[in-house]
Amino acid sequence: MFEFLFKYPLAVFSKGSFVLLGAWPKWVFAILLIATAVGLAWLIRSRLPQAAPSLRKWKAGVIWLLQTALAALLLLLLWQPAILVAELKPQQNIIAVVVDDSRSMAITEDGATRESQAVKALRGGVLDELQKRFQIRLYRIDGQLSRISKLDDLTPSAPATRIGEGLKQVASEAADLPIGAVVLLSDGADNSGGIDLDTISTLRSRRIPIHTVGFGPEQVPHDIEMDDAVVAPRALADSRLAAKISFHQRGFAGQKSALTVRDAAKVLASQPITFPADGEVRSQTLLINAGDAGAKTLQFSIDPLPGEENRSNNGLARLVNVESNKRKVLYVEGEPRWEYKFIRRTEDEDRIVKLASMLRTSENKIYRQGIDDPKELADGFPARAEDLFQYQGLIIGSVEVNYFTAGQQELIQQFVDRRGGGMLLLGGRASLSEGGWGSSSLADLLPVVLPNKKGTFHREPATVELTSVGADNIITRLVEDPARNAERWKKLPYVMDYQEVGKAKPGAVVLAEMIAGGQKLPFLTTQNYGRGRTAVLATAGTWRWQMSQPLEDQTHEEFWQQLLRWLVTDTPGRVVASVPNQMMFDDGHIQFTAEVRDKTYLSAADARVEAHILGPAGVAAQIEMAPDPNTPGAFHAEWTADKAGSYLTEVVATRGADEIGRDTLTFSRMDGVAENFHTEQNRELLEKLASQTGGRYWRPQDFNRLPSEISYSEAGITIRDTKELWNMPVVFFVLLLLRFSEWLLRRKWGVV
Amino acid sequence: MRLLLPTSVALLLLGTGSGLLALQQDDGFFGSSRTARTYSSQGENEKAEYYWSRLRYSSARGGFGGYGYFRGRWSQDYPKADRQFLMALRRLTRIQTRSTEQVVDLESDEIYNYPWVYAVQVQTWTFTEDEAYRLRQFLLRGGFLMVDDFHGAADWESFMRGMLMVFPDRPVEDLTDRDEIFHVLYDLGERFQVPGEQYVMTGRTYEKDGYIAEWRGIRDDKGRIMVAICHNMHLGDAWEWADDPRYPEKFASLAFRLGINYIMYGMTH
Repeated sequence: MFEFLFKYPLAVFSKGSFVLLGAWPKWVFAILLIATAVGLAWLIRSRLPQAAPSLRKWKAGVIWLLQTALAALLLLLLWQPAILVAELKPQQNIIAVVVDDSRSMAITEDGATRESQAVKALRGGVLDELQKRFQIRLYRIDGQLSRISKLDDLTPSAPATRIGEGLKQVASEAADLPIGAVVLLSDGADNSGGIDLDTISTLRSRRIPIHTVGFGPEQVPHDIEMDDAVVAPRALADSRLAAKISFHQRGFAGQKSALTVRDAAKVLASQPITFPADGEVRSQTLLINAGDAGAKTLQFSIDPLPGEENRSNNGLARLVNVESNKRKVLYVEGEPRWEYKFIRRTEDEDRIVKLASMLRTSENKIYRQGIDDPKELADGFPARAEDLFQYQGLIIGSVEVNYFTAGQQELIQQFVDRRGGGMLLLGGRASLSEGGWGSSSLADLLPVVLPNKKGTFHREPATVELTSVGADNIITRLVEDPARNAERWKKLPYVMDYQEVGKAKPGAVVLAEMIAGGQKLPFLTTQNYGRGRTAVLATAGTWRWQMSQPLEDQTHEEFWQQLLRWLVTDTPGRVVASVPNQMMFDDGHIQFTAEVRDKTYLSAADARVEAHILGPAGVAAQIEMAPDPNTPGAFHAEWTADKAGSYLTEVVATRGADEIGRDTLTFSRMDGVAENFHTEQNRELLEKLASQTGGRYWRPQDFNRLPSEISYSEAGITIRDTKELWNMPVVFFVLLLLRFSEWLLRRKWGVV
Repeated sequence: MRLLLPTSVALLLLGTGSGLLALQQDDGFFGSSRTARTYSSQGENEKAEYYWSRLRYSSARGGFGGYGYFRGRWSQDYPKADRQFLMALRRLTRIQTRSTEQVVDLESDEIYNYPWVYAVQVQTWTFTEDEAYRLRQFLLRGGFLMVDDFHGAADWESFMRGMLMVFPDRPVEDLTDRDEIFHVLYDLGERFQVPGEQYVMTGRTYEKDGYIAEWRGIRDDKGRIMVAICHNMHLGDAWEWADDPRYPEKFASLAFRLGINYIMYGMTH
């Protein structure tokens, strides 16, 4: 229909540029157009007094508009409008026909696989039409691009598709070959997570239009798919891990199933779920006990429902390295307090977090507990970085800021900022505003803006309730369900005292609030600062949760263990090794990064860093990591895991004969898994690819029109063609329409 | 029995008369005019971190409520010993404490707000099942109990009758010099029997057949002392009579140090 009206395919108009071929200057056209419009207006106005009264208002304006439009169109035709478009020279260009040959193309729909539908579409006349005017090169694409001689060579069994990588290869071939366009027949399932900007810009620079043809349904009728499982790659033994699982489904809205996480055959946690509306992504948090130390592969899965066609996309695996090395927290307390005792008792139960404390019992005595060595803290609060930085966390109780020397205050600041430690400040009669913290150099560390006044500490009861953020936070989670957790907190006994801590800073998070003295105040506020994190707990009276509740109640223990683990879990060691993705799908190329720091946590750029890799089937490798010239203390190495399976890597940093530190990480290569996900056609990706390269997305039923459009391309060997527009049928239809409309209106208004 | 009523009335009148006379002389109930001002109840509503908490219990040989020698053995030396000890505690440590004592009992859950409790004359205590349960919960949740001023084998047996209702199967152990409770603030390796006020008259450091001072304790599952037992000694009297020039300083000094260490231990373990 379009071509009937406009004489040329749509591509001519979308790719060409509009020109006026007439010899007369364009300004003459403009003047004549204005003169005609003005003349017609004057003529109509001068005759208005003699016209019928009904024509004197807006109706005269309509008549003027129609007449002016007619005149304008006729004038435009006099200037010979045309489209200038680049067109591939016949028989001199190559069309690359790329067929997706991955396993997802073997999915059967309506009695035929996606790949057989693609082959049928090509053999249905498109290939023959193209061959009349172009040379054809056939390719298949899976993990990489490879040329085939005939369509029969296609066998949809490859475990992965990397469209971006394949198209990059086509673009590089275009440097030597006159490739005029690419036709990609695919379901759009790409395992690399999409097509990166680099590939798009390469294709655009070559001006190669990609015409995409989508196969497969855009929506699977009955399917449950797990979209993601987000879980921290490291955890402390016995700690609670929060895993955020997101999933969507089609065809099972309102039905129930179960979300389960397993470590090998052992079920770690399970939770019932009710499916949301079709296509809606739902997130749910599962709490898992990390258990004993070791590298663990956690399998998250949703129980399949009857009628589900693809059950392989119901689950995901994630690696978690559970660490057992002790984390030390230094607790400085300025006076004997019940909170001190009950925090200590809680941490006595914790086999990972070790609490070393120094308590000012009298003016000249400090009582130390939890120390490893008689010399530890013997001189009071550490004055050297290497002494303070041996701890991962720091708790400061009822202590005036001036108890610390200027040097010690700077160390505390660096402890959080540079060393990446966690610092918790407790309320008390010498804490926070009462202790001068608000006007000190350490005020910047705090997640709150302290009130500039005294008398902020009150020995009066306060009840606590969670904020919406706190209801679903790993520190404050006593019950898994956020709503029930919030209710649980409301029922906790009151705390013995509270302190006004002002308002939370931008970027800080208030997890819990307290109702005290008729007002609502921040109770527990946290924030990230530098490489570390800080928190303020505006009370010293949580011990009442322990004394006022039955012995079996674990609220006090759980809260403090979770708070202290939050304080130290992410505190880095001297060597921190990482990989961009722990789970690699169908690709073994991996880049290791290590950040190395010395005892004072300054960058150790002169370190020697090695990665020792152990993999499946006896794979063992040792690689030296190279320093990053731009980032002191950063080291990189690249490696390829050829075999599928789990890998354990230990990164060791040394300086001379001394070891600086070591870190362990795990990663896994999984082949053939990603193809089970996103099995519906990814039309969005195919459309985006086509539109960004100047091509077009085609549905299979429209595909036979491709040969008539594909020649309009600026890639390959082209000629510039001029397409005149004056004789387009649509022009005559418009002329007739304008004239006929005016006649019809005049008749209707009785002014013929 | 027939003499009990008139005797009690006579003693009551005598006591009231003595009290009025003492007040007229501005001597206070417990001693000189100087100390009377110190022992006033001023500050009893003060909020503090630590409250010296004296356990009021049902007594086999005396009443429950009220104060005084005839109304309950729990109030022995009360409140002079308590307040005199608190003066030392405030002066020698950084513990923020109220200057007056707090009386707690096992009849309500209020005791859970006072995690350190002192009890005397515990050979006379008796518990109902509810009270024993509450004391057991108090101790296992993290509370601390110090008992003092009971002497000899008979007192021990009476004390243990009550204690066995609380902990039927937890052993009572002798505390040794290695125990942290004797080092938490003061190193108390050298300990000796601390006598009551009767020492001034008799020169005896013991009462009844309690010839040897025993420092004992009951521990929780982690080995922490929950119940500190001062058997065959009278620390309360030592605190009470510390300001009497006839009472030897060395006994008072050890008593103060022991008491402070026990509190410091109870607030750190």
